[in-house]
Amino acid sequence: MILKELMAVPDIELAQIKDRHAMIRLFDGYATERMEELQAEKLKRPLVKSHLLEILDSHGPKSESLQVIFARHGARLNPLDESLFLVTDAKEGQIGFLEVLRPRIVALYSPLRSDVLTRWVRRTVMSNPELDYVWFSGLTFGVLWDLVAQLSRPNRFTRLVFTHDSIFDIDGPERETEEEPAEAEETSDDDAQEVVERRATSFRLVDRVGVIQNKLTAMQRLYAPLYAISQLRFPSPVGRGGHDFYDNGRVTNRSESFRDHRSHLLFVVRIYEHLLMATEQRAWYSIQDSVGFPGQFRKIVGAPITLRFKEPLTQQVFEHWITATFERKRNKFRLWGHPLRLGPTKVHVYGVDRHLWQPLFLELTSTGCTAIIPNGTCGNTVHRLVTNIQRYLDPGAIAFIGDKLYTQMVKESANTVHYEPNRD
Amino acid sequence: MNPTETDRVSDPLFQLNVVLWLTQPLPQGSSIVPLLHERGFVVYAISPPLPVPLDLQAAAQSARVALQNSGRPDVLLAHPLERKFAFIECKASSFGPNSNTAEQARSFLLMAGPRAAEVLGLDPAHVRGSLLAYLVPAGQTSALRTTLEQLQRDLNDFQMPAGNFSVVGLEMAALEVRLIVDGQGSAFLSLASGSHVIIRFQPETDPRPLYFIPYDPDVTYPSETERLFCKRILFERIHSSVLVAAGRSNTPADILLSVNDLLNDAMFGMYALWENRDSAQHMRGLCKQLLQAITRAVNGEVPQAISYDPERGWKVALITDEHRQKVIDALTRFSCETMNLKAPPEEDLFDRP
Repeated sequence: MILKELMAVPDIELAQIKDRHAMIRLFDGYATERMEELQAEKLKRPLVKSHLLEILDSHGPKSESLQVIFARHGARLNPLDESLFLVTDAKEGQIGFLEVLRPRIVALYSPLRSDVLTRWVRRTVMSNPELDYVWFSGLTFGVLWDLVAQLSRPNRFTRLVFTHDSIFDIDGPERETEEEPAEAEETSDDDAQEVVERRATSFRLVDRVGVIQNKLTAMQRLYAPLYAISQLRFPSPVGRGGHDFYDNGRVTNRSESFRDHRSHLLFVVRIYEHLLMATEQRAWYSIQDSVGFPGQFRKIVGAPITLRFKEPLTQQVFEHWITATFERKRNKFRLWGHPLRLGPTKVHVYGVDRHLWQPLFLELTSTGCTAIIPNGTCGNTVHRLVTNIQRYLDPGAIAFIGDKLYTQMVKESANTVHYEPNRD
Repeated sequence: MNPTETDRVSDPLFQLNVVLWLTQPLPQGSSIVPLLHERGFVVYAISPPLPVPLDLQAAAQSARVALQNSGRPDVLLAHPLERKFAFIECKASSFGPNSNTAEQARSFLLMAGPRAAEVLGLDPAHVRGSLLAYLVPAGQTSALRTTLEQLQRDLNDFQMPAGNFSVVGLEMAALEVRLIVDGQGSAFLSLASGSHVIIRFQPETDPRPLYFIPYDPDVTYPSETERLFCKRILFERIHSSVLVAAGRSNTPADILLSVNDLLNDAMFGMYALWENRDSAQHMRGLCKQLLQAITRAVNGEVPQAISYDPERGWKVALITDEHRQKVIDALTRFSCETMNLKAPPEEDLFDRP
């Protein structure tokens, strides 16, 4: 199936939807139709996709502030109720519906074709410091995979995608590219493919949950890029198919139920929000008053973030990483700063996360990275850093917040949320 | 400039930042071994202003013992479970009993003594132990111990209750920084006497960690190169604060940059604690020196984007999204590396924040 044969904009009139109930009925029916088409291998309209976005407005995503944030870039939010909006764009027309799922996280539901929607979301996020993707690192996906294995029947099919691209492990300088990877599109034009001479892993694995559960850990030990999970399907408990979560917060509904899709979003978003707060609570550095003497006794509170590479980078790779990150405006890590050289493979950067405009102090070495995030820096900065390090530098990297394993924090966040796939 | 050329262990700013890192929670196998965190110590206060009890001040006056009426040890560590407090002072070298620094040391010995609870404003039941610990290069420990023993004896002779002290050495070995702990330090900090590796580093590499406190006008830097390097770190942090302020703003907006806020951001809030007026003024001068350079660079690309009002400080005008982007681009292109860091900040007779 070639995606471009699908209609960019489906022939449904979203503006006719007047309330939440109607939206859910519309997407439920729409999802059932698409599943039937998929089974017949005749998909006529795009699937419903959700994009999970974090709102960085310090006041939380109140209705008016949300409208202001999106309006800056030509998007109009028409409220259907207190937490649901119809989204239209001045140029692109109808986009979908935006729902406030949690105080800091919204979901955009849309039946637009994948490439059209992804481009719109990317443009909106990239130009707006109050918006960011929800970032699922390979380490986070590792914990979510454990949940899939625990909650799904072993004979259900699931799908994992692994993506690792050692862009700094190259002989020549890296091309200036888009900061966010474009959606992979299938092409039959093998002649046009670039010659890749660096470690680049991107493959999907579709098999039964039980089979993958038995093999994955051993396979990861043998081949580190398998730690860099970039997509994961939660099998739908109400029928065939499931929900494909991408590392940048996109979720494709490949099930026959939109209600089930939304339940899965809520489940994962609750975990993510808990993780965000736990990260910030633990990692934020600030000077605070010691008890008893306000303004007199001040102590430092916080915990450094440590990322440790499984294998040390060569000096050449380290050099490419630093050069490509801090000498180019458009860089994969979206960081700004002036590296202070402290040795052949050690630099300090008192810099800025250039997307969220948050301060970030980094020690980068061939064996890992230490980060200090001042009070107020969004936890998303950390999760994006972990995601990018796994994707572009070392898929087997492990992370700590203070002396606590990052994956342990994800597990603890997951333990606070109960899996109720049919809960609304 | 090459920061690896400097003798790091005699640099009080390096010493201070190392102490802070030793109290941080870090995973096993890190290049920094957080010995103090592992033993349960936390930072209770950085550079806290502490008074010598009045009766002891009076007693010292009567006995003609020179001491300072108040002082700020560099760090105050606490062990919350054991209710112990360590007053840490970092020094580049030893000092003699007749030096000015000895006056400060006498005050610290009294503060860390039996009256520590009163000095800290705590219930005596909440202070079960206290110690004054000096951190100096390993080669300076025995000379300093001799001085402190004499100061302790002098105070006790006049019935002024001096506290226990420890002299902890810092030494750089091959690819390691080590802490040398004496008997008193061992008992108090629950660390074995002798040498402990606290930092491991690669060949030809500066062992310094990220600096929590990047600059202190009151310390004597081991070299001009090191002073300029620390000034550079301070400037990088102020520059990043300016960029963050512009990046987070929506247009149209006038962003006001206050020198005090920028310095507090850059120093994790420590600037507000500087009581030394000359030092605070020096810091403001540095901040203004950088802002003037940024203003020149940005306005060269985007005319009148940044202006200075003596009453309100610096103002960054962001008119439209396109204008904002140009200002941000100009800000990101600027680097304090292009400045003459050796140039002193200009005197400002009407020094305003």
